[in-house]
Amino acid sequence: MGTSQSDLLQGTLDLLILKSLALQQMHGMGISRRIAQITNGTFEVKAGSLFPALHRMEEAGWLTSFWGESETNRRARFYRLTAAGRKQLHAESERWERISFAMASALQAT
Amino acid sequence: MVRYLTSLWRNLFCQERVDEELDEEIRSYLELVAAEKLRCGVPLEEALRSARRELGGLEQVKDNVRDTRIGAYMDTLIQDLRYAIRTLSRNPAFSAVAVLTLALGIGANTTIFTVVNGVLLKPLPYPDPDRLLMLWERPLSGGELGTVAPANFFDWREQNHSFSRMAAIDPYPDFILNGSGQPQLLAGAAVSSGFFSLFGVHMAVGRAFSEEEDHPGHNNVVVLSYSAWMHHFGSRSDIVGRSLTLNDSVYTVIGVLPSNFSLVSKASDFQGRNRFDLFTPLALHSPPEPWQRGTHPLCVFARLKPGVRVAQAQTDLNRIAGILQRLYPEDDKQMGIAAIPLGQHVVANVRTALFTLLAAVGMVFLIACANIANLLLTRAAARQKEMSLRVALGASRRRLARQLLTESMVLVAAGGAIGVACAFVSVPALVRHLPPDLPRTSEIAVDGRVLAFTSLVALLTGIVFGLVPLFQTWRASANDSLKQSGRGITAGQSRLRSTLIVGQVAIALVLLTGAGLMTKSLWALLRVSPGFQTEHILTARLSLPPQYANGYRFGTGQHRQISAFQRELLDRVRQIPGVQRAAFTAYLPLSGTNNSWAFNIEGRPPKPVGVYDMTNYRPVSAGYFETIGIPIERGRVFNTGDTEDSPLVVVINEAMARAYWGGQNPVGQRVRFGGAEWRSVVGVVGDVQHEALGTKPEPEMYVPYGQVPNVEVRPTLVLRAASEPANMVNALRRAVAQTGPDVPVDQIETMKQIVFGSIGQSRFRTAVLLVFALLALLVASIGLYGVMSYVVSQRIREFGIRMAVGASRGAVLRLVLRQATRLVGIGIAIGLVAAALLARLIGSLLYAVKPFDAVTLLTVSILLGIVALVASYLPAQRAANADPMESLRYE
Repeated sequence: MGTSQSDLLQGTLDLLILKSLALQQMHGMGISRRIAQITNGTFEVKAGSLFPALHRMEEAGWLTSFWGESETNRRARFYRLTAAGRKQLHAESERWERISFAMASALQAT
Repeated sequence: MVRYLTSLWRNLFCQERVDEELDEEIRSYLELVAAEKLRCGVPLEEALRSARRELGGLEQVKDNVRDTRIGAYMDTLIQDLRYAIRTLSRNPAFSAVAVLTLALGIGANTTIFTVVNGVLLKPLPYPDPDRLLMLWERPLSGGELGTVAPANFFDWREQNHSFSRMAAIDPYPDFILNGSGQPQLLAGAAVSSGFFSLFGVHMAVGRAFSEEEDHPGHNNVVVLSYSAWMHHFGSRSDIVGRSLTLNDSVYTVIGVLPSNFSLVSKASDFQGRNRFDLFTPLALHSPPEPWQRGTHPLCVFARLKPGVRVAQAQTDLNRIAGILQRLYPEDDKQMGIAAIPLGQHVVANVRTALFTLLAAVGMVFLIACANIANLLLTRAAARQKEMSLRVALGASRRRLARQLLTESMVLVAAGGAIGVACAFVSVPALVRHLPPDLPRTSEIAVDGRVLAFTSLVALLTGIVFGLVPLFQTWRASANDSLKQSGRGITAGQSRLRSTLIVGQVAIALVLLTGAGLMTKSLWALLRVSPGFQTEHILTARLSLPPQYANGYRFGTGQHRQISAFQRELLDRVRQIPGVQRAAFTAYLPLSGTNNSWAFNIEGRPPKPVGVYDMTNYRPVSAGYFETIGIPIERGRVFNTGDTEDSPLVVVINEAMARAYWGGQNPVGQRVRFGGAEWRSVVGVVGDVQHEALGTKPEPEMYVPYGQVPNVEVRPTLVLRAASEPANMVNALRRAVAQTGPDVPVDQIETMKQIVFGSIGQSRFRTAVLLVFALLALLVASIGLYGVMSYVVSQRIREFGIRMAVGASRGAVLRLVLRQATRLVGIGIAIGLVAAALLARLIGSLLYAVKPFDAVTLLTVSILLGIVALVASYLPAQRAANADPMESLRYE
């Protein structure tokens, strides 16, 4: 029970991170803010979950990272999608669309 | 994959840098958050605090990241290892006992496996060794493998369709190297051309024999062995092209064999030889002369053509044998041909013995492992609470299993490392004590295959040991165990312990039975009367130089010279103080040499063409029977009057008298062999064990040296001394040097040494098996002692209560002993069944003992029973002596 729930959440977080990086490279806080923005504030990603996810995804080869300058001229670690990451985003999006469609119709059923 | 490995590498070996980067990244995150708040007008202090709040614990974030990284399990492993080492070093007695037991067990197993690997498992040291065969003549009626007639070898080589090469070796000729100082005897062999290329060997220096050199007249060339080149010629680089004087003829050195070439063989193949100093061409007459079908000096090797199987080659050879049987009925009517893979042939006699030893050492290891398992169980019981607590606190079973496995792996790795280190020392020591007739001993070494075997053994042991306590942990649910006062012993545990004891006793009984059978067999062998005296006899093998004989082929009347030399030498030897008698024989019993002839008896109807009566043939000098102590049964033996010029006479043994004259008296009858003259049987003597102790006596015919039909150039001098003969060696050497300065003395041994050496294999395997069996007995009784002590300590309260309510000390003693006796009894019963079944496998190694030997089984059962009783008596006594009040307070 516990594992399946966290799997679900992990999958969600991964997808959100991939999605938020789809348009441009970003640093950790930027990703966090962007996720809040695109989910209308539903998901507030804390550093305690964000950084493990970022490092895991980088080791999986979906992201690469580099040191850069933030918009406020501070040194920050930036993340960017790789080709594998882009493919993963595509696959995950499709999966989620299927699931949410199925869930929606299940909940609408009387 | 590459990415995975680079990540793993970075995480494991650049851990500091990775952590620093993470630190920096999170700090910059904090700053960014704080800066954002600042921009919204929050004061600096407040902004920082709120940023930190949003972050959560800094260390926690870092921990979370670390746990998700690739290679995190390595960290856990290192943690587990540290914990295991800490736990084990907190219990040094337990750890030391376990590690040392494992080291001994693994070391012993590695050592024996190294021997088995070198002798039996390694491929032969030649290219494509599976295609190498040895070809033998074998009578169609079955029977022993026989060496090959040169003419037959020619025909096999020409007519076969199965072999890419076939070559022969005549292992007999010796060479005396004349020149500088003392004459030196070199062990020679004559080989046909292509012999070395059949084995795929390339000369270290120079070249091998050419086709032309394999013909009479062109054959005064030699190839030296590497060690002969080193020892006799100082490894000089200009050796090729040099001339040597061998047996008074001049030979040219054309090549030197590489140092790693050895001719793998069974000891009996080459008349007891396993090493050659030099090779000359065989140079047989081509086409062969008729007599070359009647003499059988050659060992034949062949290499199968690619794709041809042994069975196909055998069919091909059967076809050839059929042709030869029709063409040459006189010689070949009964001849079959046997093709035997070389690898199989050389180890034919030692395979069973070596696998028996490997099984035995494995069994000792099993018994030792059972002891360690018992120790681990005891520890697991003591740690039950710790484990349950960890489960209750949320440790997963998998995590616990990993921890326990890590602990046992640490134990096994330490034991295995020490064991392998021991093997590096014990293997060379064991090789020095191996029986000399064991083949391929030079190839015994700890190699990759041995290390792989040892690792596998250690790995399996480690897994089993890890699982034993785990099994316990899994059985007991967390709650039960926490509620227990921590000293209870679960039923499952005691059942497992009992099973281990029963198993140990059963295995020990099997080993004891094996050792018992072997010992009884060796004892019987040692008591076999060889048919001659072994006390106070000294023997010396001589090689007569060419002025006395010109090779082993039919001689041309050098009998007189040889006789004169022998008489002169014997006279000198008899002058040595302490020497009572001295004589010559050509084939000393148990020396590994032999010769036989076909013969006819006067007045008997002629045999069908190609059918012969065969008898072993023994040229001896006058006084031989008296010297070596062979009893005279009928008639007379040879005296100094039996010379070249006197009537031809022979003496036969009882086996020959029985076989060919039945109840009649053979004395006065005449026989013929090796020529047209009839020879009178003048006496009958007792049988001797010539081939080996414990063999059936074969017909033997003794001939005076002066009357032999061909020349024997390797006589053995036998002398009987009044006292210990070993200190006459120098005097004997002097006597030989005075009589014939150019006659080398080959081997000097007492008869006792020869007899002892002839049963070397039996002695070796009996000794090793006996050591293993006693070790098994010791280890099993330590195990029994340990378990009974544990049981007593667990039940001490019960005994206290029993005694408090009136049980006598004797009753408690009996109670404990009964429990031990029951376990040992079951173990012995199972062991007896197993021993009775397994003993059949070593039946071929036993002499005069049946594999199912009730006396042995009974003896070892009683022995094991007594030792087991003693081992369990001590704990039982402790139980009986316990103070009832104290035991009640014990908890």
